[in-house]
Amino acid sequence: MSLPFIGWHGVLVIALYALFIMGATLYMATKGVSRKNMSSFYLAGKGLGPLLLFFTMFSTQYSGNTVVGYPASAYRMGFPWLMSVPYMIMVIVGYLLFAPRLYSVSKRYGFVTPSDWFDKRFGSKTVSLVATLLMTYGLLNYLLEQLVAMGQAIEGLTGGVIPYIAGVIFLCIIMFIYEGMGGLKAVAFADFLNGVVILVGVAGFVILSFANFGSLGEATKNLIATAPAKVQVPPITTSFNWFSYYILVGIGAAVYPHAIQRIYAANSEETLKKSLIRMSWMPFATTFVVFIVGIIGTQAFPNLDRMASEQLVGMMANTIAMKSTFGYWMMIVVYSGVLAAIISTTDSVILSLSSLLSNDIYGKVISPGAEEAKKVTWGKTAGIILVLLLVLIAWKPPGTLVEIFTLKFEVLIQVAPAFLLGLYWKGMSKTGVLLGMLSGAVLAGGMTFSGVKTWHGWHGGVLGLVLNIVVAVVFSLAFPDKKYEQDKTEELFSQYAD
Amino acid sequence: MDIREPIKVKWIWPVLIAIILLGVPWYFPQGAVEPIILGFPLWAFVSLVMSVVLSLFLYYVVTNHWRMENPSGQAPEGRKAGGESK
Repeated sequence: MSLPFIGWHGVLVIALYALFIMGATLYMATKGVSRKNMSSFYLAGKGLGPLLLFFTMFSTQYSGNTVVGYPASAYRMGFPWLMSVPYMIMVIVGYLLFAPRLYSVSKRYGFVTPSDWFDKRFGSKTVSLVATLLMTYGLLNYLLEQLVAMGQAIEGLTGGVIPYIAGVIFLCIIMFIYEGMGGLKAVAFADFLNGVVILVGVAGFVILSFANFGSLGEATKNLIATAPAKVQVPPITTSFNWFSYYILVGIGAAVYPHAIQRIYAANSEETLKKSLIRMSWMPFATTFVVFIVGIIGTQAFPNLDRMASEQLVGMMANTIAMKSTFGYWMMIVVYSGVLAAIISTTDSVILSLSSLLSNDIYGKVISPGAEEAKKVTWGKTAGIILVLLLVLIAWKPPGTLVEIFTLKFEVLIQVAPAFLLGLYWKGMSKTGVLLGMLSGAVLAGGMTFSGVKTWHGWHGGVLGLVLNIVVAVVFSLAFPDKKYEQDKTEELFSQYAD
Repeated sequence: MDIREPIKVKWIWPVLIAIILLGVPWYFPQGAVEPIILGFPLWAFVSLVMSVVLSLFLYYVVTNHWRMENPSGQAPEGRKAGGESK
């Protein structure tokens, strides 16, 4: 989307905003963080309190796409896009399936990354490595998506004054600095600041949309007259798609590596519970609000095709900004909110990626037994190199093989059975979990590569998950673990036995 | 002290599934619109209300059926599983 009205003001906004986030974070959230200790650096010493944990969960989960892409989806789909409210609540249902026990286990055994659970539960290097590779791959693609969004937002905000690549590199350097100094504590503090800006921006946008383009009721009446299919009860395939989103997002977003690490980072169970309860209300302040903006947009800018509808937020912001000085500055806040949403997701993903590289790749495969300080340094360095490579890909995307970079939830969700079943079913064996993950990833990946994203409304990732679970159960029963391995699992489970 | 884990409280899950099922418009006659409530067609309004119910139910479950450690932060001695409060 482009906002040519902003230009040099946009340059100032980006520069000042980024420097403010960095300055405040360095001042407030780097004291007491040891850069030589994995838990201190990557999990804020497992000491995040209710305010920071909630905001880092919130700002990380809601990305720039929520503010820019979701109104466009509501514009195109109409009322069926209301599904974006319950499917974001479903993430908390996803957490409820495994977080209570995983938090307890992670605290007992000092986990740093999701793969630590695989190690403890299945005791197989192959299983842990496959899980790590799936998660790393998913995270890299997620990161790429954020970097592309970041470049577009910067170009839009400055009307092209700051070129794509310069803007992305500038923001990445800012993130590297505060993350490198303060790890998760710094990221969580920056997420808190960004979260406040997201909420203010989104609220301001919907209020000014009402004031400038008319109410939701008027837009609905207009839609009934002009495009009734967007208001009517949708066909059954849409309902299937709705359920599919519940599973894909509900479970997928809960098992993101950075989401799991936020479970580990809570300073107490009470903190984790409070944060999750608050999170269950956030869709009403975010996806619901931008849904209304999208529906209002159908009346303000009717008949946009798919490509043009992606520019909807920009067009609405432009119109509002041109009508009054207040509107102008408020739209700069909205744009800062978009930027805040992208930064807050990106910094968390970068840190999580770095922890996987450090703890799981370097610490378990390349140099087992290395000192923690060395692991942290290695993870930070490898993380920076990978991010810079991704920046290049985001800048000049390859003409072919683009699909390789679109797999995100589809692949990440395949590690879910290891938590959903592995935490409760003693019989789950390492053979079962491994073959399950692989078969699910192959089906989901195969569907994406062949261009078949859904089947009767069901996403490839969800179908892969179903296959994954079936394979995991069948092969766990057919090829159980050895007796001594079962005894270890028994011991792990004894804490939670009926 | 007993520990409480949501996954072990059997009745939570059918209720949750019912709330989820009622929030998706599969059971409305396809093509229906009226009445319009606060700018929402009836089916979307019902969906929105069920979303609020879902969040309220999650609040209830998290508050009342999740306690794996006592308030001091330590795992309780002699763990005894079971979701229902005694």
